Amino acid sequence: MNEWEIAAAVIAAAILPCLGVCLFSSVLSALVALEVTGTLASTALMLLSEGFHRQPFVDLALAFAFLSMMGAFAFARLMERDL
Amino acid sequence: MSFSHVAATILLVTGVVLELFAVLGLVVMRDVYDRLHYVGLAGYGALLIGISILVRESWSLIGDKTLATGAVLALIGPVLVHTTTRSFRTRERGDWADGIEQELEQP
Repeated sequence: MNEWEIAAAVIAAAILPCLGVCLFSSVLSALVALEVTGTLASTALMLLSEGFHRQPFVDLALAFAFLSMMGAFAFARLMERDL
Repeated sequence: MSFSHVAATILLVTGVVLELFAVLGLVVMRDVYDRLHYVGLAGYGALLIGISILVRESWSLIGDKTLATGAVLALIGPVLVHTTTRSFRTRERGDWADGIEQELEQP
């Protein structure tokens, strides 16, 4: 196991407290936790593609970074009145 | 151990620590507007990690795209925080600008 895989494991584990915030606090805080989780998940994908020496996998991280941000924008917009 | 190996490792550890601090802040803070500050911080951790992979792999398929991913997360993060804050204020007050003058006058 190299340092990139260790870092990916640490960051993936850090998603669990964010899940806890999602489950046990208000819906507003849940959206904030979702935003932090999006960053953590795309970082973990970056690290895994480097750790496994699979360069094409980095596209997943880039696509996920965009999609998670757009998803959070959509949630924020809907939570003004509708959710 | 070469210089780039050491530099990449330092950047990697710093990036991971920044992201862990962001999660810690998210969990510890009580108010949602306080929690929002840590979304931006997590983005900068991702940027440092992207740079560490770039330092290790130099300008290549993975180096370019991890830098792009880190830049996306670092740049869009603050915009996302601002948008989310406006939405929360609109949700609570009907209009996000409502009551700003009174808040600004408070010491």
